[in-house]
Amino acid sequence: MTYVVTESCIRCKYTDCVDVCPVDCFREGPNFLVIDPDECIDCAVCVPECPVNAIYAEDDVPSDQQAFIKLNADLSSSWTSITKSKSGLPDADEWKDVKNKLDQLVK
Amino acid sequence: MLHSPTQTDAVIIGAGPVGLFQVFELGLLEIKAHVIDSLPEAGGQCIELYPDKPIYDIPAIPVCTGRELTENLLQQIKPFGAQFHLGQEVTRLEKQSDGRFLISTSKDQHFLSKTVFIAGGVGAFQPRTLNLDGIEAFVGKQVFYSVKNPEQFSGKKIVICGGGDAALDWALHFVDKAASVTLIHRRDDFKAAPASIAKMRELCKNKQMQLLIGQITHYQVEHDQISKITVTDIESKEHLISVDDLLIFFGLSPKLGPIADWGLDIDRKQVAVDTEKFQTSTPGIYAVGDINIYPGKKKLILSGFHEAALAAFAAAAYLNPEKHIQLQYTTTSTKLHKVLGVSPPTFE
Repeated sequence: MTYVVTESCIRCKYTDCVDVCPVDCFREGPNFLVIDPDECIDCAVCVPECPVNAIYAEDDVPSDQQAFIKLNADLSSSWTSITKSKSGLPDADEWKDVKNKLDQLVK
Repeated sequence: MLHSPTQTDAVIIGAGPVGLFQVFELGLLEIKAHVIDSLPEAGGQCIELYPDKPIYDIPAIPVCTGRELTENLLQQIKPFGAQFHLGQEVTRLEKQSDGRFLISTSKDQHFLSKTVFIAGGVGAFQPRTLNLDGIEAFVGKQVFYSVKNPEQFSGKKIVICGGGDAALDWALHFVDKAASVTLIHRRDDFKAAPASIAKMRELCKNKQMQLLIGQITHYQVEHDQISKITVTDIESKEHLISVDDLLIFFGLSPKLGPIADWGLDIDRKQVAVDTEKFQTSTPGIYAVGDINIYPGKKKLILSGFHEAALAAFAAAAYLNPEKHIQLQYTTTSTKLHKVLGVSPPTFE
C-alpha cells in the first residue's frame, strides 16, 4: 500500500507533510506534491499535517480522486525529492477550497 | 572513553506502546529489560503525535487517548522494574564476538545485551531543524532547538520560529525579558493554546513583540556571529531583522536513521522479520511494532502487542535453549502471580 496526495494540494503545496515523513518520500512539482509509492512505509504520520486534508491511504482515496494514485506513482519518478518544508504557494489560501482543479496541475 | 557497559538480558529500543508491552511480555517470562528512547518520556507516537486523540481499536478498551494508553501500559509493566534511558537515541548496535550485542546511545551509555528488541516505530523523534546552508555551525551558540538556560537570553534580540505551544510559550515568556522578540511562522495559523495565541496577538498589537508570517531565507555573519536574518514573507517581500539568538521550535519528527546501518535485512526501509519469532536476519535481534515488515503486516498497535508476545517467547528460548518454556496463564499460574506481585485469586 501507499499514501496518496490528492487534488486539494494543487496550487497550495503547503509542504507541512514533508517535515514529518520519516523516509523522505515526498516529491515536488511546480504546484503539487506527490508521494513515491515505492518509498512510503504507510506510517500515516503525514495525514494530519496537511492543512487541506489532501493525503489519503491508497485504499481510502475518494472515488473522484482515484486518478491520483497513478499520478503520484508516475510523477514521483520524474520529480525531485523535497525533505524540508517551505512556504506554501503565494496564492495558496485562495486555492485551498477550490474543487475540480486537476486542470491546474503543472507537471 | 567507553564507560563499562551495563550487562543485561534484553534491551528494548523504543518506549512506544509496543516497546512498553514488550517489557510486560518479557517480564512474565522473568526477563528483565532496559528501555531506550529518544523522547524524554515514554509513549512514542502516542505521546508525541496524538496524546489527546481517541484510539478506538485497542482490544477491550472501547476508547482511550494516546496518553491514557501510555499511562495504562506503564502501570501494567510496573511489576517488572524495567529501567528507562530516555532522551537518547541508539547510535550503534553491534554483535560482539561472544554473541552479545553492544548498544551505544547518544548520551554515551553502553549496554551489553544478549537480546535486542527493536520497537522503534517510524524512527527516533528528532527536532526539525532550520534549513539554511552552514547554520549547523551556530547550533548551541546562537541557534537553539530547546531552551536549557532561559537567563542567557535576557536582554537579547531574539527570534523565535514555530507555530506550536513551545514557540508561543517562549515568546510570551521572553517578551518582557529580552531586548526584542520576533515570532516567525510560515502561516498565520497557530497550533497552540487559544489563550497563548490571543495573548501573542495582543502583545503584537501593543508593539511589545512582532509577528512575521514567512520563513528565514538568509542570514548574515559578522565577526563569526549571525547578525541579521532575512525573512521572506508569503508575498516574497524580504524583511531584514537584527538578531542575537534564534530559538527554533519546529516540533519533532521521526526519522528512520541508523537502523539501516545495523546490518539487518531491510525491506522498504523497515526491518524484515519472520512471523514465528519476529526475529530479524540476526538471531537474538527481534523487531516489533511499526518498524518491522512481513507479508500481511498491518501497522496497528494490537499487531505490535501480538508480535511482542511471540518475540518474548522466542527470546526466552534463545536465552535458555535447554529449557522448555511453558505457556502459562495469568488467571491460573501461581508463578505468574508471584512475578506480577499479586495475590492468587481465592475461589469460593
